[in-house]
Amino acid sequence: MAIDTRESVSAEHSGHTAPPVRPTRRRPGWLGPHLGRALVGAVGGYAFGHWIGNVIGSGYINVQGSGQNDVAIVLGLSIGVVGWLAGAGMLDYPLAKIAGREPLPPAPSKSWTRYLGPALDHKVIGLQYTVVVLLFFFTGGLLAMAIRTELLNPTSHVFGPGTYISVVSEHGTIMMMMASSIVIGPLGNWLVPLMIGSRRMAFPRVESFSLWIFAAGYLVILAALPLGGFPTGWTGYAPLQTQATGGMDAYLVGFAVIGIGMICAGFNLLATIINYRAPGMTWSRVPIFVWSVLATAALLTLATPTLVAAGLFGVLDRTAQTAFFVNEHGGSSYLWENLFWFFGHPEVYIMALPGFGIVAEIFPVFTRKPLFGYRIAAAGMIGVALLSFFVWQHHIFQSGINPDMRPLFMLTTELISIPTGFIFLNTMGTLWKAKIRYEVPMLFALAMGFNFLIGGISGVFLSDVPVNVTVHGSFFVLAHFHYTIMGGLVFAFFGGLYYWLPKMTGKMMDRRLGKWHFWAMFIFFNLTFLPLFLVGLLGQPRRVFEYAQNLQTLNDVSSVSAFFLGASFLIFVFNFVKSIFLEPKPAPPNPWNSLGLEWQTPTPVPAYNFARIPVVLADPYHYGTSDGQAVADLGPRTLSLAGVVAPAAGALDAQAVTGEEGSADPRPPIA
Amino acid sequence: MTTEPVAGSEFIAHEAPTLRETSEEIEYEMRSAEGAMWTGGRLVIGIGAFFFGSLAFAYFYLRSSNNEDLWRPNHITAPTGIGAAVFAFVVASALLYGYGTTRLRAGNTLDWEVTGWVTVLGGFTALGLQVWEFTQLSFFPGSSGYASCFIAWGVMNTALILGGLYWLETLLARWLRLRRAVLDDGGPARSTMPVARLFRANLEGCWYFWGFIAFVNLVFWVLFYVI
Repeated sequence: MAIDTRESVSAEHSGHTAPPVRPTRRRPGWLGPHLGRALVGAVGGYAFGHWIGNVIGSGYINVQGSGQNDVAIVLGLSIGVVGWLAGAGMLDYPLAKIAGREPLPPAPSKSWTRYLGPALDHKVIGLQYTVVVLLFFFTGGLLAMAIRTELLNPTSHVFGPGTYISVVSEHGTIMMMMASSIVIGPLGNWLVPLMIGSRRMAFPRVESFSLWIFAAGYLVILAALPLGGFPTGWTGYAPLQTQATGGMDAYLVGFAVIGIGMICAGFNLLATIINYRAPGMTWSRVPIFVWSVLATAALLTLATPTLVAAGLFGVLDRTAQTAFFVNEHGGSSYLWENLFWFFGHPEVYIMALPGFGIVAEIFPVFTRKPLFGYRIAAAGMIGVALLSFFVWQHHIFQSGINPDMRPLFMLTTELISIPTGFIFLNTMGTLWKAKIRYEVPMLFALAMGFNFLIGGISGVFLSDVPVNVTVHGSFFVLAHFHYTIMGGLVFAFFGGLYYWLPKMTGKMMDRRLGKWHFWAMFIFFNLTFLPLFLVGLLGQPRRVFEYAQNLQTLNDVSSVSAFFLGASFLIFVFNFVKSIFLEPKPAPPNPWNSLGLEWQTPTPVPAYNFARIPVVLADPYHYGTSDGQAVADLGPRTLSLAGVVAPAAGALDAQAVTGEEGSADPRPPIA
Repeated sequence: MTTEPVAGSEFIAHEAPTLRETSEEIEYEMRSAEGAMWTGGRLVIGIGAFFFGSLAFAYFYLRSSNNEDLWRPNHITAPTGIGAAVFAFVVASALLYGYGTTRLRAGNTLDWEVTGWVTVLGGFTALGLQVWEFTQLSFFPGSSGYASCFIAWGVMNTALILGGLYWLETLLARWLRLRRAVLDDGGPARSTMPVARLFRANLEGCWYFWGFIAFVNLVFWVLFYVI
């Protein structure tokens, strides 16, 4: 059947007649949902919630005369988020559903303005996500510059200690929020349906919701600064948490809001990968990047509810005066640590696994070799995801743990390095005796391997109790996780961007500028963070704005390098603007000669992705092998002939074989 | 001729006026959608399990820590009668809904409609009682570990029941609009109409979720009122 642009279409089905279902009303023009309306909703919601909170909180003894009303702040932020979502149109369908109504599609538009409103096309949402995560990234990056500026000198200060710790906390929280979605949001959403041969996501409204609530989280966490900041770092430890000023409310609400977005994103991706794989896309043919997204999505869906619950407990402590984290009233500050890290350690793999997925996807293309040990790599990702739930206590070796339990969690932490090592060796095995094409994506992928080796091995050191106790809370730990997250994930992300942007935008990025970006980022990243291992071993603690005089040289090397590292991203921005907008060069359909299914689609990719649902015939990694089998059959044919769908009674007819229109459109409403 | 919503194609409709799908492709996507509904229904339970698992962890952590001997001084207990009533209403609602679902499978739609709306009523009653219980507490929220956990339980259970009610109410509302067409096609249990197939998948997911709500209420009723 031809898909129509009207609100409903006539379709034959079983010869019966169904009543028309009244759709929701569409508001035209500026009254419709878009970014501007979302901002108005957020501001209005915050003002309203704050007013309600003042009415409620003014009766509390602890609020009167204190100059701080946490109830007002929490309600303001929460209702502000609801207002933002309402403005973005995220509540239209859920509300209409109460009356049993059907949704309307977004207003038809091919203009760039469709990127400013709610969308149901996973490719539009993927690009929206790209912009939002880059906003997170550059905001966090600017705060990093502020930190390194302060640390240029051990005794002369730019900030006071309170401001400094607020900047550090804001930087850490924004970057962690960003890192949890930097691959899953932009690349996962954009690519997964294409890579598995699907025309759509399972729950595109949930996908869109995850984006808009993620963006709301950015505003909430940014609001922490004008609310006084928070002194806890990104980990939000109690009892500081319960003692802090209003910025802490923004931290708790922000993390919970982002957490809801992460759950929604993981939920949708899991349902899509499990159910929407094209015929023939067996589990042994699923691209390795999709495996990494699957493992990550499972972690997002199951680990993040703990963060949301912990955030709720924190909010209740600060508003309803419960005592979850207050030792003196029957609570325990260690409870926060346990709950936080039960989410927080899977979070580490939420950040690491997609990076591995990208690298494992890129290596075979630029080495023209099959991915070494595909099955082991996929099993390794699932193994890492499972084991990540059993290691959280190594974060509290120094506090809140029975010393007798330490060896157990040391063991589980070391165990997780085994599947991680498998994945790493898979990528290295692919390089073995390969003729490497040093294109920009490959350079980033190689750098990820180099950086993650340092980050990973220092992580194995840290899993050992004696080392952990020695360097706990020092710059050594900081250098370790920057090597894994920035050196691993962020390098992989940029490699992925350079690799897939030609498909996403239809334009080629400038190769020379890309190499400039790579070399600047690689060199200055290592010059920034390698010295920090040393200053950590020499005793410099994290989150403290003063340090010993003898560490100034190393700190200055790190700071100056950090400024150049920050500047390297300007090359990327310049390259992006130049290559996409100012001097666009059309990208060939498959510039890297990849076998991936996503590259077999036309550019720009049509809204429906595939004119025919592909029948997958082989995995996308048989480079350099003699059998040269096609990855998928994309032409007209019948799925039943491919042994996939049993012909429905009377349904399989000549129309299907010839690609003529079918007899019904029984697909579901989008939930 | 039927006039059905564009449904699954809506998000591509405005950009893809010429996509022509074979009946097999449509059937393939239909099966995927049913599967997604099934998967989604179970994942929601998984999310809920970890969410309430966090509260159970907090309960046992604070109970075993017993800092300052303030886990549960004088064995304070939330109002037992109201707690039992909340528990009873939730479990009764879930059982009733399960019964209605069974009747629907047997082709009796009226039973399902009645039990469905009664379940909604029961759920709202439980919700009202849960909120009212906050006004009847004999302890301050921060007076002990038990008190803190109980306040959080009240908030989380309210959200859980609201979620279940929303799911069920939207199913019932949708059913009201499609009832005649589905009944003409052999009824909700046998109809091959797409809306009927998805309705069945949705119905089953909702029933599992209400089972989960009842289970969670049972566990925390034991934790807060029995032991």
